[in-house]
Amino acid sequence: MKGLVWMLSAGLAAGAVKAPLPEWNAADKTAVEKGELVPGLSLLGHDLPEEDAAAPAAQVPQPTAEELAEKEKASTEVAEKYWDAYFGERPTSFLVDPQGLLSTKDARDRESFLKYHAGDSKVDLYVYLFDGHQSIPSEAREEELVERFFSEGKPAVVVYYFLGAPQKSDIYVSPQLADSVSAAEQRRALISSVEEALEKPDALAQFEAFCVQLSIRIYWMERAAGLVTEEVAAAPSPRRAKSHEAEAKEESKIVVKAKEWGVQYGPSAGIMAAAILTVVGGLAFARRRARYRFPVFEVAPRMGGAHAAGIGAVISFGSTTQSPSSQRNDVPDYLGL
Amino acid sequence: MKCPRCVQVIHRGAGLCPHCGFGIAEMDARHGKDNVSLRRLADVAGLMRSRERGKVQSALDGFCRRFPQLFFAVYTGSAQGGGNLRQFGFWLLNRAAFEDVPVDRPNEAGILLVIDPESKSATLTWGYHLDPFLTEEDTFVCLSRAHAYFIEGRFAEGTVVLVEQLGKILSKRAAQARRDPERFERKVAPPPRTGEIARRIREGHRQVPVKTTEVIP
Repeated sequence: MKGLVWMLSAGLAAGAVKAPLPEWNAADKTAVEKGELVPGLSLLGHDLPEEDAAAPAAQVPQPTAEELAEKEKASTEVAEKYWDAYFGERPTSFLVDPQGLLSTKDARDRESFLKYHAGDSKVDLYVYLFDGHQSIPSEAREEELVERFFSEGKPAVVVYYFLGAPQKSDIYVSPQLADSVSAAEQRRALISSVEEALEKPDALAQFEAFCVQLSIRIYWMERAAGLVTEEVAAAPSPRRAKSHEAEAKEESKIVVKAKEWGVQYGPSAGIMAAAILTVVGGLAFARRRARYRFPVFEVAPRMGGAHAAGIGAVISFGSTTQSPSSQRNDVPDYLGL
Repeated sequence: MKCPRCVQVIHRGAGLCPHCGFGIAEMDARHGKDNVSLRRLADVAGLMRSRERGKVQSALDGFCRRFPQLFFAVYTGSAQGGGNLRQFGFWLLNRAAFEDVPVDRPNEAGILLVIDPESKSATLTWGYHLDPFLTEEDTFVCLSRAHAYFIEGRFAEGTVVLVEQLGKILSKRAAQARRDPERFERKVAPPPRTGEIARRIREGHRQVPVKTTEVIP
């Protein structure tokens, strides 16, 4: 640290030595006093040579509006070499990423999730992946593509997802679903997935959250379309589905046993339960109808009271923090105050 | 049996409190010796809404049905003219003429709940017929049940809870009294005279047969 300071100060000192100091003479002093000379004006107000200023500007043609639009378009549109991969045929994988925007591992993870979804659901989910700043070429009409490629086979939901800009995403459904899933419902599913994605900090997490949320929303679309017939089929986890099957088998044994018991002891148990209920009900009714009488004893009057002198407790309810016992008032009132 | 002013135990039949000299004449001087016309539910302080008053009234009716000899009355208001709440309850139950109570249920068979919103306190007073069957501790249990409601200003609900709790206690006491009436009679029997004590000593403290009790049908 000390060495660095020394070197810095030495460099400054060397620079200070090398810089030439201005030299003044008596004529300059006179000119400055008269206002004819401004110090440093020769440096700051250096004009261009006459010939340079006078030279005509080079004749460069201005770009036309079409050229500007073309350039803009070319910079945002998906490169033409990927068009076939994107829009040429029905995709063979659920994740369509010919540009390789995702790393191999991430692409594999997303593809495996989409495959899992396809195995679990009756509606496939296809995701076309683009970069956030890109736009889909106007030559590719997304709705028409979906109709052309996805009109046969399993119903599908097709999403055009822009990595890092989930709000630009668009959703389409195959013709089989178009009748049962309204456009509003599609928009709601998309908005919900986008909102879920936007809560994540980075583009990859956003994409993952988007896919998961949309997969959940597709389940509800299936129900709306009447494609869900069994609860087990709609269960989100195949492992859980297996355990449900096992439980169902166990239950069936239990049910069989219970039926046997029911046949054997059912009538007697029913009679007994009815008898117990009757007794309990009767007791409750009798208790409700019960009348309580007291023997009457001769009690001598006290303190001049003709009818009553039974003095009970006095309780104060002024404090919400103290218990009733601590608010019990046993203080005598000798002075009658 | 306690004095409402000095809270000291007094003997049966004391004309005035032997400790402080308290008697109803003192309260009459403050509040008047004329009878006060009241209904069983006298919400003078206006602590209950009309719908709530209906609930309380039905609870009081239910109490009267379960206990054909007794009645329960509620008074809300402060003890004007001085004296603490015990003294006021004592005076009121002696001087009140309840308009909606049948004549076969005298004030001796009454239980009066007084709620004073100014001093934020409540007390229970009962008539002579209930002397053997109720204790100060019983009334404290009932007031404790209602305490939480009173704190929140839910006086009607608190009163209903209190009446239910008192009903439970009294139903138990009625069953016990049916099985063993002497146990309760001993609590209120007049103290034996000196000659009686001498006679018992001569007879070797043998148990004197208890006379049969009169039971209201």
